[in-house]
Amino acid sequence: MKIVDTRGLVCPAPLIKTRQGLTEAGADEPVQIIIDNPTSLSNVKRYLTDNKLRFSVAEEGAVNIVTVTGSDEVKVKAENEVEVKAENGAEENEAKVKIKVKAENKYELKGNPEEWCSLSQIPEQTRRNTVIAITSDRMGSGDDELGTKLMISFFRTLVLLEPPPASVVFYNTGVKLALDDSPVLDHITELKEKGTGIYLCTTCINHFGIKDRLPVGSFSDMYQILNLLKDADHIIRP
Amino acid sequence: MAFDLLTTVETGGCSSKIPPRLLEELLSGLPLSADPKILVDITTHDDAGVYKISDDLALVLTTDFFPPLVSDGYEFGQIAATNSISDVYAMGGTPLLAMNIMMFPSTRIPLEVYPEILRGGYDKAKEAGVSIIGGHSIDDYPPKYGLAVIGTVHPEKIITNTGAKAGDVLILTKPIGTGIILAAHRLGLASSQQLEEVKTHMKRLNNDGARLMQKYGVTGATDITGFGLAGHALKMARGSGVTIRLDMKRVPLAEGTYDLAGMACIPGAAFRNLEYVEREARFDETLDYNLKMIAHDAQTSGGLLISVAEAKADRLLADLHAARHPEAAVIGTVEPKQDFSLIIG
Repeated sequence: MKIVDTRGLVCPAPLIKTRQGLTEAGADEPVQIIIDNPTSLSNVKRYLTDNKLRFSVAEEGAVNIVTVTGSDEVKVKAENEVEVKAENGAEENEAKVKIKVKAENKYELKGNPEEWCSLSQIPEQTRRNTVIAITSDRMGSGDDELGTKLMISFFRTLVLLEPPPASVVFYNTGVKLALDDSPVLDHITELKEKGTGIYLCTTCINHFGIKDRLPVGSFSDMYQILNLLKDADHIIRP
Repeated sequence: MAFDLLTTVETGGCSSKIPPRLLEELLSGLPLSADPKILVDITTHDDAGVYKISDDLALVLTTDFFPPLVSDGYEFGQIAATNSISDVYAMGGTPLLAMNIMMFPSTRIPLEVYPEILRGGYDKAKEAGVSIIGGHSIDDYPPKYGLAVIGTVHPEKIITNTGAKAGDVLILTKPIGTGIILAAHRLGLASSQQLEEVKTHMKRLNNDGARLMQKYGVTGATDITGFGLAGHALKMARGSGVTIRLDMKRVPLAEGTYDLAGMACIPGAAFRNLEYVEREARFDETLDYNLKMIAHDAQTSGGLLISVAEAKADRLLADLHAARHPEAAVIGTVEPKQDFSLIIG
């Protein structure tokens, strides 16, 4: 386990140290980053998400501990090791830095098993790219009132799903579930905080004229939606 | 050894502006004046307000101030003044008069820094043909400095965020990367040459850019500051009802910017700007991550982003190169409005 302690450092030093720690860590060696301020935590999380790295966050007193356990890119290759492209332009290091992670999500338990506890609990599905397609503001068809109830229940249950889905895509009347007065907005927000991508169909938003009433989620065109669905390992459509 | 102004700033490299989305929320409830003589107000997110005096004269008003971003008082004054005056140039105007805005602690740092900052401001104002005729000081820590500036413009030659037209190309007059280089400097990661380069850019008045925009009949432009290249491009796209496509590979970068971004020297302001922009932007899948973050790097006293008819672009660019803007480059295009206001590739 590689430990990166960023306590007391000002922005963007925690991010630089994080990146340095990731490049220095050995193959399939997890990296733990200790962060003591919310801005750096938010930036580090965003950086890891954007670079498709898997991580978990635990609050311990005044600090947050971010544990990076691997990369989402794994799913695309069958070899034992894959390379996550990460160009490092630093002058002293011309070579491309490779972050290696095992495709088989089986970390060997070394040293103190306690320390590895969180890792050994990560199930195989962690590496699967699950996409939830929400195509309507109701679940199923037949009875509208029942359909609304079911959809609320679906989201209440979805936030409990471990690991959380990679993305939730909302289209047609589904986008209305992301409205500022939606009964499932808190669940959507919670998913986003867990690292799930929230994608809202722009054409649908414009159709319903609700652009200014959507506090969470990225606006996505058909190109992006199609790519999300195309790249999914499996799609759940409630 | 002169007093180091950077020791007064606690936020590190993160820029000092209020996050753009929050600012929009805070401003949304303000009443707007219905005076027909107001030609440009806050609704188009423009760089300055414009008020019509007569058929051939309008006033351009703007103000801007911020805490130190360099160590030396004189240089801080120069950069703050250049940045403040830039908003008049971005509207195609000619700056005329200014007032100092100074927040300075009367006890915690050496008082001789105060006149040094003002001297930097006065020298830059003089270079711009601006007379500083007064100002206001408040006892405050850390120090902050800037100008309130008045300029003039012909009412029919105002250049705004609403004037970009589909078919235009976009020219950027100065390299970007000041936020990243300044943050790196604070952490001891930037070379002195890299720091000097961005200081030179930040002290460069946008006066030649403004003059050349008028020469070529440009109607749409903005200057690139705290919201980053992408943020200001988005405001222009929205204001003009178009989609702007930026080609990040063509954007001039200050030396070292790309490598530092690769080391994750990405100031917090870039993440805030990204959050603001991403809902209305599409990022090409092939877009390099470092370039994506550089597009959101907060700039101080940045260059002009000029929307110009394609037929005139080569001549404008040649004139800019001749007018001490050697890095000026075509970095994007203006297209009819699509689902996204901004496409970054």
